[in-house]
Amino acid sequence: MLEIHDLHARLTDGREILRGIDLSVNAGEVHAIMGPNGSGKSTLAAVLAGRDGYEVNQGTVTYLGRDLLAMPADERAREGLFLAFQYPVEIPGVNNMYFLRTAINAQRRHRGEPELDAGQFLRIVRAKLKLLDIGEDLLQRAVNVGFSGGEKKRNEVFQMAMLEPRLAILDETDSGLDIDALKMVARGVNQQRAPDRAIVMITHYQRLLEYVEPDRVHVLQGGRIVQSGDKSLAMELERRGYGPVEDAA
Amino acid sequence: MSAVVDFPVKPEARPYLEAFGRDRRRGDPAWLRGYRRRSLARFAELGFPSRRSEAWRYIDLRQLEQRPMLPTARPTPVVTSALATQLAEIGLAEPSYRLVLVDGKFAPELSSLDQLPSTVRLGSIAAAIAERPDLVRSALEAQSPDRPFASLNAAFFAGGFVLDIAPGIALERPVEILHLAAGDAAGALYTRSLVVAGQDSRATVVESFAGSGDYWRNDVIELRLGAGSELTRVTFVAEGVDALHFGETLARLDEASRLSGFVLLAGGRTVRHDVTVRSEGAGSRCDLNGVFLLSGRQEANILTTVDHRAPGGETREVFKGVATGHAHGAFQGRITVRPGAQKVDAHQLSRNLVLSPRAAIDTKPELEIYADDVKCSHGAAIGDLDEAALFYLRARGISNNEARRMLIEAFAQEAVDLIEQAPLREHLRSRLTRRLATLEE
Ligand SMILES: Nc1ncnc2c1ncn2[C@@H]1O[C@H](COP(=O)(O)OP(=O)(O)OP(=O)(O)O)[C@@H](O)[C@H]1O
Ligand SMILES: [Mg+2]
Repeated sequence: MLEIHDLHARLTDGREILRGIDLSVNAGEVHAIMGPNGSGKSTLAAVLAGRDGYEVNQGTVTYLGRDLLAMPADERAREGLFLAFQYPVEIPGVNNMYFLRTAINAQRRHRGEPELDAGQFLRIVRAKLKLLDIGEDLLQRAVNVGFSGGEKKRNEVFQMAMLEPRLAILDETDSGLDIDALKMVARGVNQQRAPDRAIVMITHYQRLLEYVEPDRVHVLQGGRIVQSGDKSLAMELERRGYGPVEDAA
Repeated sequence: MSAVVDFPVKPEARPYLEAFGRDRRRGDPAWLRGYRRRSLARFAELGFPSRRSEAWRYIDLRQLEQRPMLPTARPTPVVTSALATQLAEIGLAEPSYRLVLVDGKFAPELSSLDQLPSTVRLGSIAAAIAERPDLVRSALEAQSPDRPFASLNAAFFAGGFVLDIAPGIALERPVEILHLAAGDAAGALYTRSLVVAGQDSRATVVESFAGSGDYWRNDVIELRLGAGSELTRVTFVAEGVDALHFGETLARLDEASRLSGFVLLAGGRTVRHDVTVRSEGAGSRCDLNGVFLLSGRQEANILTTVDHRAPGGETREVFKGVATGHAHGAFQGRITVRPGAQKVDAHQLSRNLVLSPRAAIDTKPELEIYADDVKCSHGAAIGDLDEAALFYLRARGISNNEARRMLIEAFAQEAVDLIEQAPLREHLRSRLTRRLATLEE
């Protein structure tokens, strides 16, 4: 589903943040990416989602057989790529419901499906809210405006559940959550698991991985993936930290 | 130049003097004829405002100087399908008392005034001149002698309306004034109007301007708010693409009255919306809010002057400007607090979005405070769309164009949302949405 080969990316000031990432994610898999602060995890997510401000100076990314880097950000999303933001953006004046309906209909048009009217949309919203145990009041407000940290993360998971992406990248969606919220996020991710979909979770904590069992765990450090393994790697990292990993690389 | 004049005349005023000489105005009473002549002389003396004058810095009058737009003797308007389209586009969906002016002239067949209670008088200015000359005369004489285009308006106005609400009356339906332009010939349309809100009365007046063709609309209106009255006044300018629109409002607020003004500037090549509010009675409140949305080569200028002459007044202003293409917008907001006008509380906010490298917006707040116990503040900002918000929307599959439109709409809607009456708010929201659909094309 996703093939990243020797990916290098730098900031506009020339600083190279990603320094040769190799990663392969197959349909049906859940991968976890861990790594110290500032190692480039969010940068990788941003480059995959198509954010401006990064230059890919080497390497390739193939998504569903297509050159991902050649697509504009919004097209990537319509093709089923979803990024749950580490820091969801507040958008004053844009109602959450209206925003989501616009997003879903953009995706439906892209797939040649009929748009949802307000009523159909509301029915789907209610069903998903129930599954995730989220209150409807959040949706009547402007996108993320005045949301608590945890509410913002829930909103990201809710959007994922609504958009049903092929490939979801969750950037620290488990950070700053209380235990109930964490379970909710885990439930959202587990519901998203399917043979034709893949999930990449960026996380600092082994805790999430207790609820969502990953097929692979990777360590990103200094802009490279320095170690990969199964879920036991996460447990090992929890015990000994990242330091020795670099030595091992 | 054939007319013999005994006052100084600026060169750009000559064509207007000649036109005045040709204009017979047979219907006018003697006092009005005299008033018009004096106003014309005043205009001739002043000429066009210079760009050096602060109030006219942001509007380019050269084209008008080179090509005078004279009042045309327009035939009695015929109701064409073009007019019907204009009506449908700007008219309110909710029930209203509707008065339609075509090229400034009252069009009874398009108006609906029959439900109006007897305590409210609404009709053309021509009728008011005949029936209530003193009222009209007092309004004309309230005008400042320093405004060249208002003087020109006084010389030539042929249409307009008068709304007079008796004390204590609360009008539930809005009064809707639709100013249409039939587009028969190039020329100027001069309208002069008056709204009298009696003591403790309450009303909403929605004025919408639309048209097609090449015209210069010069509209002057006075709003008189009696003690304790509440007047909501919404102005929607959707003039034709080639039109010039100069609108001047003078509002006089008596004790504990409240004026809520809102303006949406969406159409016209050059639009000037100039509002002067005089807080004459203690404890009056004035809300002035508005939006301009400009693209192509549009020019617009919103000017507000709130003059607190009495204590305890309150002013709130929120103006949003959006410009793209080669458009130029300007907001000039002056708040004056005179000596003795203690406990005035005034706040002004001007926020602007400049969406293209060739577009520009100027914003100029001016506070003149001559009393010591007052609260006055202002804020002004000019910027571009928030990149992080734009990316967030695009990361959900929303195209760049649509994401931009959503953000611009959210920005402008903040001012529209200050309109208290829900149906009216919806009406303006939908006009805003419609304008935005083509803004960045
Ligand atoms: N747009 C940007 N402008 C400036 N610096 C940036 C930008 N994006 C990333 N960086 C820098 O690149 C490095 C990697 O940042 P990144 O956000 O990818 O780290 P991370 O692994 O996600 O860290 P964390 O675990 O703290 O979220 C950091 O030094 C960061 O400051
Ligand atoms: Mg990060």
